[in-house]
Amino acid sequence: MAIGLFIAIPVLAIIVYLFYGTGEMWQHITTYFLWDYLKNSLLLLVGTGILTFLFGTSAAWIVCTYEFRFRRIIEWLLFLPLAIPSYIAAYAYVGLLGNGGSLMALLQSVGIPIQKIEMMNIWGLIWVLSCSLFPYVYSCARAVFKSFPTNIRETSYLLGASNRKYFFSVVLPMATPAIIGGLFLVFMEVLNDYGAAKYYGINTFTTGIFRTWTALEDLQSAVYLSALLVLMVFLINGLLILWRGKRSFTLRLSQSSASQAKRKPLPLGKQGLYLGIVAIPLVFGLILPITQLIYWAYLTFESMFTLQLFWIAAQSFGVALIAAACVVVAAIAITYFSSWNHLKGIHLFKKVAVIGYVIPGAIIGIGIIRSSQTIIDFFADALYLKIGFLFYGSSVILIYAYVFRFLAVAFNPLEANSLKLGKYLSESSYLLGIGKLKTLLTVELPLLRNTLLSAFLLVFIDILKELPLTLILKPYNLQTLAVKAYEYADDERVSEAALPALVLIGVISLLMIVLNFGDKQLLPTKASDEKHVSH
Amino acid sequence: MINRLLTVVFILLLASCANNTPAEQEEKEITLYTHRHYDTDQAIFSKFEEETGIKVNVVKANADELIQKMESEGDQSPADLLITVDAGRLVRAKSKGLLQSAESEVLEQTIPAHLRDTDNQWFGLTKRARVIVYDKNDVDPEELSTYEALADPKWKGKILIRASGNIYNQSLLASIIANDGEDAAKEWAGAVTQNMARSPKGNDRDQVKAILAGEGDLAIINTYYLGRLITSEDSLESAAGNAVSVFFPNQDDRGTHVNISGIGVAKYAPHKEDAIKFIEYLVSEEVQKTFAEANFEYPVNPSASSAELLESWGAFKEDNLPLTKLGELNKEAVITFDEVAWDNGPDAN
Repeated sequence: MAIGLFIAIPVLAIIVYLFYGTGEMWQHITTYFLWDYLKNSLLLLVGTGILTFLFGTSAAWIVCTYEFRFRRIIEWLLFLPLAIPSYIAAYAYVGLLGNGGSLMALLQSVGIPIQKIEMMNIWGLIWVLSCSLFPYVYSCARAVFKSFPTNIRETSYLLGASNRKYFFSVVLPMATPAIIGGLFLVFMEVLNDYGAAKYYGINTFTTGIFRTWTALEDLQSAVYLSALLVLMVFLINGLLILWRGKRSFTLRLSQSSASQAKRKPLPLGKQGLYLGIVAIPLVFGLILPITQLIYWAYLTFESMFTLQLFWIAAQSFGVALIAAACVVVAAIAITYFSSWNHLKGIHLFKKVAVIGYVIPGAIIGIGIIRSSQTIIDFFADALYLKIGFLFYGSSVILIYAYVFRFLAVAFNPLEANSLKLGKYLSESSYLLGIGKLKTLLTVELPLLRNTLLSAFLLVFIDILKELPLTLILKPYNLQTLAVKAYEYADDERVSEAALPALVLIGVISLLMIVLNFGDKQLLPTKASDEKHVSH
Repeated sequence: MINRLLTVVFILLLASCANNTPAEQEEKEITLYTHRHYDTDQAIFSKFEEETGIKVNVVKANADELIQKMESEGDQSPADLLITVDAGRLVRAKSKGLLQSAESEVLEQTIPAHLRDTDNQWFGLTKRARVIVYDKNDVDPEELSTYEALADPKWKGKILIRASGNIYNQSLLASIIANDGEDAAKEWAGAVTQNMARSPKGNDRDQVKAILAGEGDLAIINTYYLGRLITSEDSLESAAGNAVSVFFPNQDDRGTHVNISGIGVAKYAPHKEDAIKFIEYLVSEEVQKTFAEANFEYPVNPSASSAELLESWGAFKEDNLPLTKLGELNKEAVITFDEVAWDNGPDAN
């Protein structure tokens, strides 16, 4: 309860704003741009929803089901598009496909007469966002597919189901809750995107919020627009829950030693097709943009490569690591406290806490500064304590902001998968007289390890890329890679932004290697899945 | 694994705490909130530190966010100075009571009156001219004259300019409102929208690249972006930069529209004296020359020499409209842009 309240502070600050009424520009907003912006945002949601679903689910299924060359590497490379901030990918695409772009030049040199592919429109934006965001769906789907017990597959085959039928009528429905969780994250990111939309000249809800706030100088109406956005999120969330329906399956983890399905070799004749399906998101989400970034980094290497860059990388890494750990712990706390104590209000808090993901970062930033100012004033007036330095001189407030902002990223898959886990294990544990906390630590969390790790990773990546909150709340001695890259891009020096962006991608890959490969135990093997169940 | 992770987290926590202890209380320092993201600025700050022993703490973010931040922090704000990249935001900061007057003879003597606030609450540091660049091959500069003339239907399908969210477009329209009146400005914006080669997108550099690709003949951009294009390592960018020439509009009447990057002393500045010293340093001939050479901005200090490239474009007459006006009319400019549906570009035919 207290955690819920604590986390909800910025939302409360924003709610207070709502009571002041709409600002003076409201009339202008509804007359001139509201519907346009709404239309664009919806189109973006539908487009990216379809594409990320296709990219993420198909790729996840193929890497989880089949064995092929470089499968392990491809499996984790598919996470990496997330490491490229979408606005950087948006620039990279124009650098590749725009007038005289590097890919265009290459094609022309081999005799294909193509001037450019116009990216700077809504379809281009849908493409770029889908290519950089599909890993959310991929990672959620993959986590489910990986923990799929073999006995289900065997049963389906015994009952005469074809491969296709098995996928569409067994696997997909069972994986739906998790995939929906991933899609939700994609939608939130799309709604929150500012840089890419602005660069491509597409007016969306979020660009409208910024325009209202900064250019029309009407914070009041901007907050109202944010509230509308939050409403839209609830609507989407509601629709998704409807879609999910009663599909919360309780998977009985297999008791046999063959709980983890063995991968099959790719079916002959379809190798090209399957590899193509995996290659599309990989090429367009990762290889193409990275190649452009490398080219830019090469052009600017001399002026950009400094020792300071390493120091900045280390700082980004440290802050993101701490904050991501905090986010995961908070997500666990909320998931389990709410299932332990059937408090009436807790479900509301769950909702409130996760909307941090959709409110534009800058607005959250303001909410947090406003509320922390109140706290500082309180300490100064009532207790004669000057705690301002805690807020402005350290990263405490920034980390708190990250927790608020990214709770949904960890919370959604965690909740979905703990539902999937069902209650029978924990209940057996309670029957054996083991306390709730101990059960959580020794039974539930170990079983959710894959989910927790992928949640941690997603949050970590998100924090590394985060911009508006970092800009507003970071202490001046803190430098992050995302901020560095942004400063150059904002100044129209995209090629200078490439090296910090590449280092960012490097840092993220490094962590993924440590988490996924350094520790063999982390690879879901039958032995480790088994161990905890047989306690 | 989890243990290992926890250990790392713990160590990092300790390290971050150690980092943040306010040990250097006694040291002289100023805190600067700035929207300028240039590496050369950092070099200038370091030099200032070296010469005066005053440490410069820098917080970089967008001016709008910095202004919000100062507003929220109130009298506990650590900010001594605010730097923006346009006059409008300084005017806004002033009207919100976030700045204070800085009395300095040096500043009054160095900076021309129309480039600073009447109450000395803010001062211009560098100038940016918003000019017309045209395709060297396709456009005869004799055909160009004023911003107003871009509304002529002969430019239909030829003009490249970015979206209305951009502050420099807002300032330009604000200056046209100030000079020609509200109705004329709206008519102008509507006509230019219909003359656009495409719906507005991308940044200033992209407009020039689109000229190279033959998508349009004219672009309205800030001078320093052209400077950077011409000197870019990227062959495509330098080709784009070299494909166009600069035209300074309105030379026969009010002059070309200029905006500034400027600075003001914060209302609750803990180190006012050092802050003023810092501004004086920034407008000194030497630093002004660095601004010009490294970033292709025009110095505000008339005695500072400009970059060679800038000089090659020739001297020009600038609009002496007090910049305060730009701030006051900014919102009106944005509203006008919305009313003529600037961002939707020309109507489809």
